[in-house]
Amino acid sequence: MDMAYVHVDGAVKFFSREDGAGMLVLDHVSFDTKENGVTCLLGPSGCGKSTLLNAISGLERLEQGRVEVVSDHGRATTLSPQLGYVFQDPRLLNWKRVEDNLIFALKGMEVPQAEWKERIHKYLGMVGLLEFRKQYPLYLSGGMRQRVGLARGLVIEPEVLLMDEPFSKLDQFTARKLREDTLAICARLRQTALLVTHDVEEAAYMGDRIVILSARPAHVAEILDNPLPPLERELDDFGFIEFKKRLLQSVLKLMEEEVRA
Amino acid sequence: MAQQQKTLSVQAEAAAGAGSLGALSGAGGDRAREAAMEIGLRVGSIATLILIWWALSLFFPPTLIPRPWDTFAEVAEIVSTGNFFAEMGATLRRVAVGFAIAMVLSVPLGILMGTLRSLESFFEPPVILGLTMPGLIWAVLMIMFFGLNETSAYAAVAVTIFPMLAISIWQGTKSIDKDLIDMSKAFHARPWSKVVDVILPQLVSHILAAVRYGLGLAWKVVVVVEMFGFSNGVGYQVVRGFNVFSMKTVLAWTITFLVVMIVIEFGIIGWLERVVTQWRPRVEAWRR
Ligand SMILES: Nc1ncnc2c1ncn2[C@@H]1O[C@H](COP(=O)(O)OP(=O)(O)O)[C@@H](O)[C@H]1O
Ligand SMILES: [Mg+2]
Repeated sequence: MDMAYVHVDGAVKFFSREDGAGMLVLDHVSFDTKENGVTCLLGPSGCGKSTLLNAISGLERLEQGRVEVVSDHGRATTLSPQLGYVFQDPRLLNWKRVEDNLIFALKGMEVPQAEWKERIHKYLGMVGLLEFRKQYPLYLSGGMRQRVGLARGLVIEPEVLLMDEPFSKLDQFTARKLREDTLAICARLRQTALLVTHDVEEAAYMGDRIVILSARPAHVAEILDNPLPPLERELDDFGFIEFKKRLLQSVLKLMEEEVRA
Repeated sequence: MAQQQKTLSVQAEAAAGAGSLGALSGAGGDRAREAAMEIGLRVGSIATLILIWWALSLFFPPTLIPRPWDTFAEVAEIVSTGNFFAEMGATLRRVAVGFAIAMVLSVPLGILMGTLRSLESFFEPPVILGLTMPGLIWAVLMIMFFGLNETSAYAAVAVTIFPMLAISIWQGTKSIDKDLIDMSKAFHARPWSKVVDVILPQLVSHILAAVRYGLGLAWKVVVVVEMFGFSNGVGYQVVRGFNVFSMKTVLAWTITFLVVMIVIEFGIIGWLERVVTQWRPRVEAWRR
């Protein structure tokens, strides 16, 4: 995998409400993601995390500021097709078999057809669903569907993988397992990824870098790098608990400040 | 070691999924019994109808209610003389052409009405108005306009079912999942792929329901058109039977017509439905 990271500089986003008044959602958000690592966007519900991710992917337009994907291929200010997206609910095409869902993405990204088979094998294998490639999504469990969503994000071999709370609709056990696997896959691929979450423990576990966002309008409150390498994070390990505590303190402090303001 | 454990538990989850799959598709005996039961119920319902017919025929003279078997003999005659295929063919062709025209026009219009506010406002009144228009009146209007020829039959079928098809597809389009559209944008799907892979599959059940109703309407209007003075088709044959006051002929033609309709409904449309919805586990709310 080539070098890649996302550079967000002074992102501002308004939404117009029903009553006509503008609502500020992103208030000059700036940060760089970790190069070839996982960056977590941690913030309360409704603060603008999804909006930010959509702005990065080009689904939403910013009023001010820039988003760039910096890679060996240069700085792409245009929202190039080099982004994969994993959604909160898997958003699969239920009428297409698992492998056809991946093909849908490959087709859109104009990956040459000669590579499809090999890529599908590689990434479905990685998420552990190779034997289900001919199955329809509605015959799979929630966790397995989310895995298909992950494979679809990876199969286009994006420079950056965007993930919007991909574990939040799963039960504790499935989520834990999927987090572990996702982290291992990203580490193995040296995948630059941006993961949105409102869960402190998830951020501490998944993030090589954590960007803490304030409540709406979102601005960057703090940026922390994880002292532990991805594969050495154990939920019951002392070092991990220390870092989680450190993160939690920042979040609590931020909430206190917001109450006072 | 840790890596190995990881793969193992993925397989465990996968196996759990396979288990539920097995429950869905397995137990072949159960499936067969269920299918046999379903067919039995359908045959039983038709047998009951014939039984009621027979009971009624005991109380009326055959000129008013002919015996079922006399009528079936007449059906056999119609079919064996070859008459049937020409007449039914003419009627089927009129329905098929009219239907195709209505379909080709209503799918794009319905999708546009469901996706563009301005077109929705513009086309809503005429479509709703068209829905309330009786097929008989369309038949009269089309014959007066085009004359007694095939065009008027095609046109009458097309305009009668068009509003109903357009409304179904319009409403279906409005219920399309916006999140999937966003997904397709995130993966840079081409416009054609958006329509074929994302939008149309979500409309399939609406379109199939519309086809069912539409066919029902089409049969009714085509027979009316044929009664107005066409020289072939099932409607014409029924009128001929009426002119010589032969209840048996009228019923025999009606029965052949019904049989063909049922074959199309359950055979072709039912098959089509199973093919295009095989991705969806069946809802079996009352099964334990
Ligand atoms: N398309 C939109 N139009 C108007 N308001 C929106 C739109 N999308 C999101 N919002 C609002 O913007 C705020 C941030 O939303 P979102 O980015 O989804 O939050 P998060 O993902 O952090 O929970 C919310 O208050 C939401 O109601
Ligand atoms: Mg969100």
